[in-house]
Parts: sequence; structure tokens; C-alpha cells
Amino acid sequence: MSNFIRLVQNEQVKLYVRVATWVMFGILAAIILLGAVIVRFLDDGSLTEYGDNWREEIQEENQKLTQEMEEMSSDSADGGFSVEMINGSTIERNNYYLENDIKPHTYDAWQFVYENAGLASIISLFTIIVAAGIIANEFKWGTIKLLLIRPVSRLKVMAAKYVSVLLFALTMLAFLLVFSWISGAIIFGVDGMNPSIVVDRGGEFIQLNVVKETIMDYSFSMVNLVMMATFAFMISSIFRSSGMAIGLAIFLMFAGNSVVGFVSQYDWAKFILFANTDLKQYTAGREPWIEGMTMGFSISMLLVYYVVFLAASWLAFTKRDVAGH
Amino acid sequence: MSKPAMQLIGLKKTIGKKEIIKGLDFNIHPGEVFGFLGPNGAGKTTTIRMMVGLMKITEGDVIIQGKSIKTEYKEAIKQVGAIVENPEMYPFMSGKKNLQHFARMIPGITNERIEEVIKLVGLEKAINEKAGRYSLGMRQRLGIAQALLHRPSILILDEPTNGLDPSGIREIRHYIRNLAEQENVAVIVSSHLLSEIELMCDRIGIIKNGEIIAINSVHDTTQQTDLKEVHIEVDPVQEAKQHLESILEKEVKVDQSKVIISVLREEIPQVIKSLVGQNYQVYGVQVHRSTLEDKFLELIGENTIE
Repeated sequence: MSNFIRLVQNEQVKLYVRVATWVMFGILAAIILLGAVIVRFLDDGSLTEYGDNWREEIQEENQKLTQEMEEMSSDSADGGFSVEMINGSTIERNNYYLENDIKPHTYDAWQFVYENAGLASIISLFTIIVAAGIIANEFKWGTIKLLLIRPVSRLKVMAAKYVSVLLFALTMLAFLLVFSWISGAIIFGVDGMNPSIVVDRGGEFIQLNVVKETIMDYSFSMVNLVMMATFAFMISSIFRSSGMAIGLAIFLMFAGNSVVGFVSQYDWAKFILFANTDLKQYTAGREPWIEGMTMGFSISMLLVYYVVFLAASWLAFTKRDVAGH
Repeated sequence: MSKPAMQLIGLKKTIGKKEIIKGLDFNIHPGEVFGFLGPNGAGKTTTIRMMVGLMKITEGDVIIQGKSIKTEYKEAIKQVGAIVENPEMYPFMSGKKNLQHFARMIPGITNERIEEVIKLVGLEKAINEKAGRYSLGMRQRLGIAQALLHRPSILILDEPTNGLDPSGIREIRHYIRNLAEQENVAVIVSSHLLSEIELMCDRIGIIKNGEIIAINSVHDTTQQTDLKEVHIEVDPVQEAKQHLESILEKEVKVDQSKVIISVLREEIPQVIKSLVGQNYQVYGVQVHRSTLEDKFLELIGENTIE
């Protein structure tokens, strides 16, 4: 076991000694900071802080919004439409606060972290790049020959590489969470340790715990991340080319959903990987992609794909000759 | 004779329908430097890849210190240190980090051992530089260092003198002889250059088109008692030719101002005495060793790729 840990350590050393890896962290940090600055300075009203007499403040805000809507709709027909949409939903939400006697939560670090869950797709992208290179690069550098003439089985070498990819994804995720929270705390402040928000779920407003929602959102996005990283890892192992693995995996990541949309009228569409990677489709207030799909079905499909990906990687890595260039 | 360090038994490799290696059988003994000689494309690297388990063996086996590379891979490979083809290292890591990387893959390699190996190959000064900045000669040394880390009893070096300058070649030769003689390591050195192998090896196996066509002991061939080719620059050359033909009773060739004869070593003084005695002007005598080179070329002919 200690042997295996040393192999993983080797992979991590090789990963973090390269500048490209640090650039990835730099890009993620820059995107987070930029996001925070945009939210802060392009204040669209969501940053309003409510005082002790928040009930009156909300009523005032509603009046102002209604007035705005009336003015707009008399000015132009189509311009008023979007204003009506936005203001209308804000008013409804405000009414929900009043009816249920919930003091609106101020936008703070927690909410910023929650909204950054979308950045998990950036992490997917970087993880795909790492997964695509981790086997293929050894072939490119020629170091695979030195790696595989040690008293360590090829399976172990491969497993160490795979674990290293997952470890990288987890590290990036932790970085996203911590860095978002810290920059959020600096720019927006922290409003309590158990924040909640009111969100629109299928036309109905509900109050949610931000921390719990954040964990859920990030966990769901990890499913897609792990599947795409494993896919890239497999391509890397089979074709021994990182370019191909990156290209295919990223293409599928972005095109996958459209493909499913295209063929969703057919029954077999539910067996496509991308119809199943978004487990959020089964949460409250959402409709599954294709009728009749269930969480259990998707998880089984994901497991099948996962096992196939890993088995193919294993076969390609352990059974084939390491020949010349 | 001691127990062989490595045995090749009927080793074959078929890729597709083509038989690349057609059944190799030979042993390599501890303390011996074995030269694996053949033209490019003869199958040297394929054989080496099978020896270290990078390529699967189609038929036959490689036995390393009594363990089969096929069935007891880990036990067998523990005994082996190798460079296969070029000594490729991680270019973005320092020489030392590269060594530490490979050291982590084998239990029991201490930091002291790493330092010791660095000193052995003379890389102390450059060890903290990135391997990507190394010259080919330095990479070759680093390659040897990583192969020696775990004190293997068999060292396999594929074209180790590739890219080295003459002094580098001499140093490498020195380490290799040292390892074999002092540490009883069995060393396998492949090359397509005979002159290098001849100087550092005890035995040479010549491979051509996937077959071993000869295995020679180097000392046998250099201290041979058979005929030597002697070039004598002499004037007048035609008369000298006739004179020599009459006393040697065999054909004598003439090349410009030289006569070329084939005689035993013991006969050379006699021939010269006779020429001088007959008042021929002898300007020079050159003994051409019938070296391995001739033998090699003779054996190899042309390495046609089928």
C-alpha cells in the first residue's frame, strides 16, 4: 500500500512541477475574482441590504418596481416585456418573504460560493486536460519505458495515474470552494453561518439552506466531471495521444447535451451517457430529459459506462506492447 | 562456469504475420560484458524490450536470475537496470528529481544511494538543472544513473555511447568494465558500432534479421594465431612480388607500391629479413589485424530487411 501511495506521490509531483498546472489554478482564481467584481459593481439590486424594518423596505421596493413596469409598458411594447419578467419575479419573491415572514438574506460569501457551482465545468475542462495527458504524455516523452521496467505491475501504475487525476479534480474543487468563499467574504462580507435563500423552483418559491444546496450542486456536477475525466483517461490509454483525448472529451462534453436533445424522441436515447450525467434532473421541480427515466436508471447506466471506460483503459494499458515511436 | 545471470530460451517475436525475432538462445554470465551487435533494424531493441517485459514474448522465455520475466515479472525485473533506446527523462524536472522519481518506485533506495549514483556517473554539478537542458551525453549518464539506483545484477544498455564524445565514451567504458569486474554485474550492451563494443565487451553476439549468427569471445578473435594480412611498402615492387611468391609459395597481391601477403605472425621477421637480404628497399611494414570488423562485415553481409 505504501508502495501505491509513493506512485500517486510521483504522479502528483510530475503534475505540480509543471507550470501549466499552476496556470490552470491561476485561470480559475481569475475567473472567480472577476465574477465577484462584476457582481459587486454591476449591482442589479440583488445586493440590497435590509435593515430591521425590512418589511417596509420590501414594500417600498415593490411599489417602485410596479411603477417602473407601468412606465415601461406604456413606452414600448416589447421593451416592457423583459422588465415585466424580471420585476415581476422580484415582486413575487418579495411577496413570499412578506407572507412567510422571512427576512431576506443579504448576498454574501455563501451565496457567492453557491452561484460559483457553475464553474465546476471549468474544473471539468482542466481535469480532462490532465486526464488526457497523464498516460499519453509518458509515451510522448518516452518515459513510459522507464516507468514500466520497475517491480510494479502495470495495473498499479495505471491506478496511481487515475487516482492522481481524481485527486487533482478534488484539489481544484476545494480550491474553487475556499477561494470563492474567501474572495466572497472580502468583497461581500459574511452574513451568518447558516444562510438561506429563496429560489424559484418551477414557478414556486421555496426557502433553501445555502450550504446544503451548495454541497448538492457541487456533488451533482462532480458526476459529469468524473465521467468525462474517465472518458478522457480511456482515450489517452487507448490512443496514447493527449490531443485526441482532449479533443474528443471536450467535444463530447459540450456536444453531448445537444446530441441527446436531437434524438430525445427515440426510446434508446436514454441509454446515451449524456442523458444520464445530469442527476439534477431528478431533483424537486425538474423534469427528466426523457420520460420514464429515473434516478436509479441513470445511476445504473453511469456505473455501466464507468466500468466500461476503466476496463478499456486497463486492457489498453496493461495488455499492449510498448513499442517504438 | 557460474550460473547464468540471464538466459534467452528460443525467444521469438511475431508481429502480425512477420517473425521479427526468430528464436534466440544464449546466456549471459555474471561479471561479463556482453555485446549485442547488429545493424539497425536487426532486432536488437525488440529483443531488449522483451528482456525487460515491455513487449510480450511470442514464444520462448527470458530467465533472469532463475526467474521468468513472463511468470515472475516482479522478481525478475528487480534484478534489472536498463536504458531502452534513448535515455528519455522528464524534461521539466531536474536530474535529481528524475532520480528521486524512479527511486520511489522501488523500495529501499536511500538518499545516500541517490547521491552515490550521481557521483558515480559524474553529474554532481548539473544534477539540479532541468533534464531538458542536458546534452545527450549528460542524459546518457543520467540514464545510467537511474538504471543503477537499485544495484541491479544485470544492466542492459541500449546504444549507451550514442551521442557521447570520445572522452565520454571512454568514461562509460570504464564504468561498465568496473561494474562487471568489481561488482560482478552482467552487462548487456547493444550497438551497431563494432569498434566500441570490441573495446568494452568480453563476448559479442551478432544479430542479423532477427537471428543470432555468431557469438564470439573478443579475446579469441584479437589474439588469433591465424593468418595476418601484412602490407609491405617495397621497391621495386614487381620483383619483390615474384621473390615473395617464390619463397612463400602462395599468391602475393600488389597494391600500388605495396605488396600484400597473408602470413602467420611468426613468419613476418623472416619475410622482412629475406627482402632486406635481397637488397629490396623496404619503406614500411604494416600488420593489419584481421579484426572483428572484417569478421562482422563478412558475417553480416548486407542486412536486408525482408
